[in-house]
Parts: sequence; C-alpha cells; structure tokens
Amino acid sequence: MKNILLKEMKLMFKEKANLIYLIVMPLAFIIIFGTIFNQAGDSTVTVNVTDNDHSAASKTFISQMEKIKGFDVELNNKDVNQQISQIKEGKLNSLIVIPEGFNQQLTSGQNKAKISFYQDAAVSNETASIEAILKNLSNQYRENQIVSTLAKDGKTDDQIKSIMKSPVNIDSVKENSHNVDMMSQMVPGYTVMFAFYIFISVIKRFFTEKESGMISRLQSTGVNPLSYLLGMWIPHFLTIMIQCIVLIGFGHYVYGMHIGSFVGIFLLIVSLAVCGSSLGVALSFIVKNENQGIGMTQFIALGGAMLGGLWFPSNMLPSFAQVIGKFTPQYWAQQGFLDVIVRDIPVTGLWKSFAALIAFGIIGIIVALTRYKAFLRSAVK
Amino acid sequence: MSFLLEIQDLQKVYKNKKALDGVSFSVKEGSCFGLLGPNGAGKSTTMKILTGVLASDGGNISMFGKDALKHRKAILQHIGYVPQDIVLYEKLSAYDNLSFFGKCYGLDGDVLKKRIDDVLKQTGLTDRAKDTVKSYSGGMKRRINIAAALLHNPKLLILDEPTVGIDPQSRNHIFDMIRSLKEQGTTVIYSTHYMEEVEALCDEIAIIDKGEVVTQGTLDYLFTEYGRKAIYMESETSFPTEKLTGIEAVHSHHQGLIIETAAPIDLMEQIIHISKEKKILLHRLEIEKPSLEAVFLSLTGKTLRD
Repeated sequence: MKNILLKEMKLMFKEKANLIYLIVMPLAFIIIFGTIFNQAGDSTVTVNVTDNDHSAASKTFISQMEKIKGFDVELNNKDVNQQISQIKEGKLNSLIVIPEGFNQQLTSGQNKAKISFYQDAAVSNETASIEAILKNLSNQYRENQIVSTLAKDGKTDDQIKSIMKSPVNIDSVKENSHNVDMMSQMVPGYTVMFAFYIFISVIKRFFTEKESGMISRLQSTGVNPLSYLLGMWIPHFLTIMIQCIVLIGFGHYVYGMHIGSFVGIFLLIVSLAVCGSSLGVALSFIVKNENQGIGMTQFIALGGAMLGGLWFPSNMLPSFAQVIGKFTPQYWAQQGFLDVIVRDIPVTGLWKSFAALIAFGIIGIIVALTRYKAFLRSAVK
Repeated sequence: MSFLLEIQDLQKVYKNKKALDGVSFSVKEGSCFGLLGPNGAGKSTTMKILTGVLASDGGNISMFGKDALKHRKAILQHIGYVPQDIVLYEKLSAYDNLSFFGKCYGLDGDVLKKRIDDVLKQTGLTDRAKDTVKSYSGGMKRRINIAAALLHNPKLLILDEPTVGIDPQSRNHIFDMIRSLKEQGTTVIYSTHYMEEVEALCDEIAIIDKGEVVTQGTLDYLFTEYGRKAIYMESETSFPTEKLTGIEAVHSHHQGLIIETAAPIDLMEQIIHISKEKKILLHRLEIEKPSLEAVFLSLTGKTLRD
C-alpha cells in the first residue's frame, strides 16, 4: 500500500492542474470576492431629489438627508414627469420631489406639507431604506411640532424631555461581533466548496489507471486489491487536508480571520477529508466514464454549495431548500466551521458536524467497497 | 525436459461469445513457446488467465507442478507479464517506474536497487534511467515495459505481442533480451501474429484460431506435417507446365509460379530439361522455403492477417 500511496503522491504533485483547481482557484475566489465584499461597507444609496420649492425649509430637509451616512443625495432640476417616465422604464430607481409651496404649507401649521416619493416597485429592496429614512424625517418634524407646542404651553426643557422620552428602549447587542466579517463566512464557504472538487482528481486517477491497463497489469503482480484501493484513496484524503489547512490558514494569516478551537478546526478538516475522499472514490466506481464523473462532480459541488449555505446563509433560502440543504455534507461542514470560527463553540459542541460528515464518509466507503469488484472487472480490457 | 505449464480444456465466455473453446497446450521448462494466431484468436485472453488478470470459465491450469487456481498468489510470484499495451507511468522516470513495479513484486532495499540496475543494463537504458518515460521513443518504452516484468527474476515470462509498432533496432534488442533470458533458463511464452518472430525465437509453437489450438509442435514438426513441398520458378516466356509429371498444384506467385510436388528435386530436373529443349530462359528456380504462413493457411484455410 505504501508503495502505491507514494507513487500516487508523486503523480499528484506532478499534475499541475490539481494545484490550480484545488488551491489556486479557491484562493483566487477568496481574494477576489473578499476584496469586493470588503468594499461593500463603503457603498452608498443614491437619493435623487428635485426641489421645486427652493425655500429655506426645503434646503433644511435636503441637508438633513445629506447628513445621513450611506446616502448620497443628488439634487437636480429636471422635469419631474420625465423622471417618473424613467422610473417606469427602469432607468431610475426612485425620486423625491419637494413641491412648490412646501415651506408655506409647513409653516401654516395645518399639517398639509407634502413630499412625494416615487419608486420602481421592481427594486423595492433598494428603495425601502430611502422610504424608511423619509418616514423617520417625517417623525422628526412631528416631534419638533410637539416640542414647540409643549414649549408654548409653558413646559420646561426637562419636562419636555421627559414627555418626549420613548417608554420602550431598544438595547441592541451583537453577539460574536468580534468574529464576524465577510472572511469568516467566505473562507470556510470556498474551502468546503472546493474540497468536493477532489472528486475530479479521484475520478481522473482511477479512470487513467483503468484505461491505461495499469489495473490489469497490477493484478498480475499479485498486489492486494484492498492495498491498491487504500493506496489510491489516502493521497486524496491527504490532499483535502492540505487544501483546507492552506485555505483556512490563508484566511487567518492574511485576512486576520478569527479561528476558535484549533482542535475543533483540525477535526473538522479530518472529517471533511474522510467525507470528500470517500465520496469521490465511490463516485469513481459508479460513473461509466470520466466525462460523466466530471458532470456529476459539478452537480454535487455546485448544488451542494448553494443548498449547503456556502455562498450565502442557508436561512435566506426557501424553507424546502433549507430542509434539502441539511442532507448535504457541505451544510454540516459549513455549520461546523461557522460554529468554531464565528461562534467560538468548543470542540465538544461540534459533534453534530463531525457525526454528519463521518456518516457521509461511511456511506461513501460502503458504496465504494460494494462497487469495487465490478470496477476491477471492468478494468480488464 | 519437464513441462512447466500444462493447460487443459481452457474455457472463457464473454457475453455468450466463446473466446476460448477448450484451449490445451503444454510448455516445456526453459523453452520459448510461441502462441501464433490472428487478432481475436484468443491469445491475449489465454495470457490474461495465465497471469491471474482474468478468471477462466472452465478447464485446468498446472504451473510449476501446482494447480494454478488454488495457488494463484504463490504462482504469480514466479510469473512476469508484459501486456500488449505499454503500461507505465509516463510522468515518472524509468527508474521510478521500475522501483514501483519492483515493490509490487515484493522487492525492496539493496536487492531492488541491484535488480533495477540489472534490468536497465539488459534493456540498454541505464543512461536514460532518470528521464521521464514520456520522453522515450516507442521502442524504448517497449523495452522498459518488458524490464518491469523482469525485476523479480520470474521463472516464466509471458509476453503479449511485445514488438507492436517499434523500430527494427528496438525489435532486435528485445529479441536479444529474450534469447539471453532463455539462456539463463527462463521459460518464455511469446504471443504474436508475426510469423517471422516465432520462427526467429520459438522452440515450439501452438497455432490458435477462433479460441482453439489448431496444432502444437516444433517448427520442424509443423513444417513436415503441414508445410507444402514446392518449387518456385520464374521464366522469360510461358512455361508448359502440362508437360511436367508428379505435380500436385500450380499457383501464380509474384512474377513466377509455385508448383507443389512430393518430389521437388525430380521436378527441378524436369524443368531444367524442358527449358533446354524448348530454349526457355529461366530466371529463377528454387525449392520454396517452408513457412508458418503456409502452415497456417493449410490448417485454417486463411492467412494470418485475414
């Protein structure tokens, strides 16, 4: 077995494609998407405003909006109807119109001041924040009016503050906030996703051995079939280990990603390697040719990545998809990594992920052993 | 000389098609035994059963005096198998390939190193040992392909068409290797559909066709038993063969005639006499050399390349 294992490791290191799609590609994904999403915090929402009043009140309203972080107010004097047409055509997301007479209506004290907010319903997610801000500003005007009325009634500042104070205080506490950043989601996500690309390497190796006649030849040397299987299998297990250590290490040392329990991370990597390599071997013995195997790999790796919550949190998926996701090894691997990296859960609390990944691994081993004899028979030309 | 291998009534069926239909033959220890037959005759299937790659569907095989099916593992340690295809790791060096196969045969350490050096000398590739197999010519790959089966000093070497698609120089090198092994006492089974290779190397031959052994024996035996006696002649003008006596058949061949007869010397005397009398100029007149091609044709009614 050692002989086959060492030969296989030599061949794997000589195969540059392995390095590219198992290490370089996931690193590239992490770097590219990490850079993009790390910039996401600097992004702003553009608020188009047409001021037809040009009064002190309208300017005050606009300056209040400009003070809000994340909003980029673009003031224009374009024709309102034309801009509404643009919204209908999807060329403009939203428009705030301050009508002529806004100042006069505001100071009349009859609560008739009006601001129009036009929005494209197709992008309501993007415009919802603007609408919320407008409602907030409207409330501020209302509060100012109440304060002014109370002052006229002879209430002191302290009395006014006490009256205006909300009976309910929201105390917002973010747990694990010290561990959460884009990298803490992205690095384990791409690590798990690309760990399953080992299938391609496993399938290629077994089919090359089969089609070249090597399996036949080795049978004539009296090599034990089980030794041969282990010798072919273990290098792929080790490859996933190396791949995961490199990618997680990259996230930690380059992007400062928090790593909780080192033992927990290591055992998760071992479980993932058992799972990925054994399922890869099983798949090699099921598919009829290399192309079919590569197609199946794409289906399993990409489908599992989406359903397992590797690209975005699985709770964003429809409920049925969330249920299906729990039957993928990717889900349990990702949850395990998030438990350690984000939630700082100790190794003893990771047993569900370990158990699920090892269970998938055992299924792979059983299928591989069941199909092995048929594979060897089919290898004899 | 005792038999190292005895096969009786070997059967193999692939999806209702009989690949081997009662193959039987015996191989003497220390001899070079040729398995001659066209493509698809059953040569490779027989060899794969002998080397444990395939299971038979019936029959008996005795090797080294033991039942091959019962003592498969022990017997395989004494067999070297060279498959028809070049089965090597092209990205590894010849040395790494030989080291890998040597370990598969249970060799290790200094013994393995010495054996690798020995087989590299035998193949004439010592200088190229560290180069990747990918960089080798077809003939060099064939030589390493054979070398990989020699590492454990097998008592029986089985070669399945080992010279397909190689240059004459490499072919001669392989022939020299086989002759040298035979001199050292190794028994060789050599499968081919090239008759000249069998004639050059083999002491005994089995002709196999459609999964059956048609005949087995030494070259002399086959030529005597199945080879036709004939003369070949070429003349300036048409020769009156109707005037010849004791002829069995006449065939056109190249620019002349092959005339089959039981008494070729008498027939040559008649031809010389008639040619002088009729003033016919003879370009060639010779006794036809016996060939396996003719034996094969006589036994199967077809040529080897049909």
